[in-house]
Amino acid sequence: MRLRLDFRLCLALAVLLPAAAAAQVRAIEVRSPRAFGYFLGDLVQAQVDLVVDAGFSVQPASLPQPGPLAYWLDLRRVALNETALADGGRRIRLNLTYQNFYAALDARPLEIPGFAVTLANETAQGLTTAQAVVPGWSFTISPLREVQPTRQDDPADYMRPDGASGAIDARPMLLASGGFAAATLATLAILARDRAWPPFRPRRVRSFAVARRKLRRLKAGVGTGAAADAAYRDGLLALHRGIDTTDGRRVLADDLSAFLARHPALAPQAARLEAFFAASRLAFFGRDTAGARTLVSFAALDDTLCRLAADERRA
Amino acid sequence: MNTLRTGDAMLTDWRDSAARFEAEVGRAVIGQARAVRLITIAIFARGHVLLEGDVGVGKTTLLRAAARALGGAYERVEGTVDMMPSDLIYHTYLADDGRPRVEPGPVLRRSDDLSIFFFNEINRARPQVHALLLRLMAEGSVRAFERDYRFPHLQVFADRNRVEREETFELPAAARDRFFMEIGLEAPREASVRRDLVFEPRFHDTDALVSGLAEGVLDHAAIGGVARAIQHGIQASPEIEAYVVALWEALVRPAEAGIRLPGLDMDALVQGGASPRGVAFLVRAARVRAWLEGRDWLVPEDIRDVFQPVMAHRVFLEPVYEMRREIIVPALCRAVFETVAAP
Repeated sequence: MRLRLDFRLCLALAVLLPAAAAAQVRAIEVRSPRAFGYFLGDLVQAQVDLVVDAGFSVQPASLPQPGPLAYWLDLRRVALNETALADGGRRIRLNLTYQNFYAALDARPLEIPGFAVTLANETAQGLTTAQAVVPGWSFTISPLREVQPTRQDDPADYMRPDGASGAIDARPMLLASGGFAAATLATLAILARDRAWPPFRPRRVRSFAVARRKLRRLKAGVGTGAAADAAYRDGLLALHRGIDTTDGRRVLADDLSAFLARHPALAPQAARLEAFFAASRLAFFGRDTAGARTLVSFAALDDTLCRLAADERRA
Repeated sequence: MNTLRTGDAMLTDWRDSAARFEAEVGRAVIGQARAVRLITIAIFARGHVLLEGDVGVGKTTLLRAAARALGGAYERVEGTVDMMPSDLIYHTYLADDGRPRVEPGPVLRRSDDLSIFFFNEINRARPQVHALLLRLMAEGSVRAFERDYRFPHLQVFADRNRVEREETFELPAAARDRFFMEIGLEAPREASVRRDLVFEPRFHDTDALVSGLAEGVLDHAAIGGVARAIQHGIQASPEIEAYVVALWEALVRPAEAGIRLPGLDMDALVQGGASPRGVAFLVRAARVRAWLEGRDWLVPEDIRDVFQPVMAHRVFLEPVYEMRREIIVPALCRAVFETVAAP
């Protein structure tokens, strides 16, 4: 984070360094936006500039670690920024963010402790290290309230009223939750349809209606001749398939009573079905399609299917 | 539609005889109408029958009653573990004069007239005996005493106790395939029939029961000719032919026919069997059934009625399923008929 520092308030400290180190660490400067006007919980910014000889850089392990420094002071953040200077030196800038937790009853100065930073220069000849000792600095903290407040009858009146908070517009949130609820329901409906959950239980196939449509296409069956006979047999087959589909198995003539017992809705057509099975037997196995047609005509077949389809719809 | 051609008046007469035969056998064996009907079909199809069932349900009584009503010579042997093929053919003994004698055994004794050869507990006999029986069944001839004995009217009835497995020899596939039908016999379920069987003294003495039946209701020597006439007289339409072939295909390759049975791998269920001979037998039996029902053409019901007795024992399952065949094969047969479209 880049700090905008008020340099009019800066606290500049030029430190005279021992002669040996002076050759490597040229200057140490601690700046702060202001030296006073801090309250309980405020963040206290500090910018430490170290000007060092070329080649030196900070050993990261020697930097102060974020965390509690004292019962009243936390170090929140440490940011490091190194830039080369025009005269061949290097400027190392540390941006430190502290937080003050000292609950002061009067305005008083507090000291933030100093720390040492190790600088290292690694060359082909070997490693040169130097210590830069950043001095402690102080700021003035102010109390939040007076020591002796005006006497109040009700102790609750010592409390300050809460600040008015701005009303939040709930409409977009309501609209969004409504939209998501609708989307959930739609997804649930799709899933229920896919899994055939209750409202989407698949409707029974109306097999006699299907057979009847098939029969209607075989109009040739009403005439005479070989083509008409073939159409008549196709018509018989259509009804056979309708019965088979209804029962889920192949139904032969001898199974008719059992079939009707399983599908009582079709019982009114028992006599017609019996005649149909007799005609089918004659047409397919007795090789007597003409005899079968006198037994059950194509129109009678259509009528039987029509009645069966109606019974099926009612079932 | 239920009429035979006038030229087949002989078949109509024989149908009445068949009904009398069924009624006569039904007097001794009550509550087994289905088994009696199947045995009648087997007799008129000239097929050998394997009866299978629990102990004491009347397998032997049924066969003895059928043999008496059929007429002709009747021989009976009991399968034992030490029986050898020669025991069926020769009878060796020491005569009164102290000299050894060799005489024809039970099979040869009345070969020309032998109508029923009853092999009791066939699975107790060794495979050598089965082999002899196979030749007897398939070819109707045996070579002994330097000549061929022929058995023109022979029908083999065998029974097998399905409870015991100790000291028994499972019938080989070839032997099972030669049996025309395998009829499962269960004790009757009807309460009144059960009461009669238990309390009616008439049913306690099998010998008296069987000897009380009319003998020779059918002329056993003529049945061969009648059987041929039936096979020629009953017509099969192209639809029936297609139906039988479709059934056959579905039985051998159930997965391809779309049959699914719970808990079974349909692709690896049927190992083999359902031979062409078996399917030919199926149509043979169905024709007899159509004749007994008074039709001169086949309908799918004829096929379905005889399918399980004729085909079930010819289907061989993968070994992993073979132990459960009593459940699997009937379910498979049912599924085949529920899947294959008849007309």
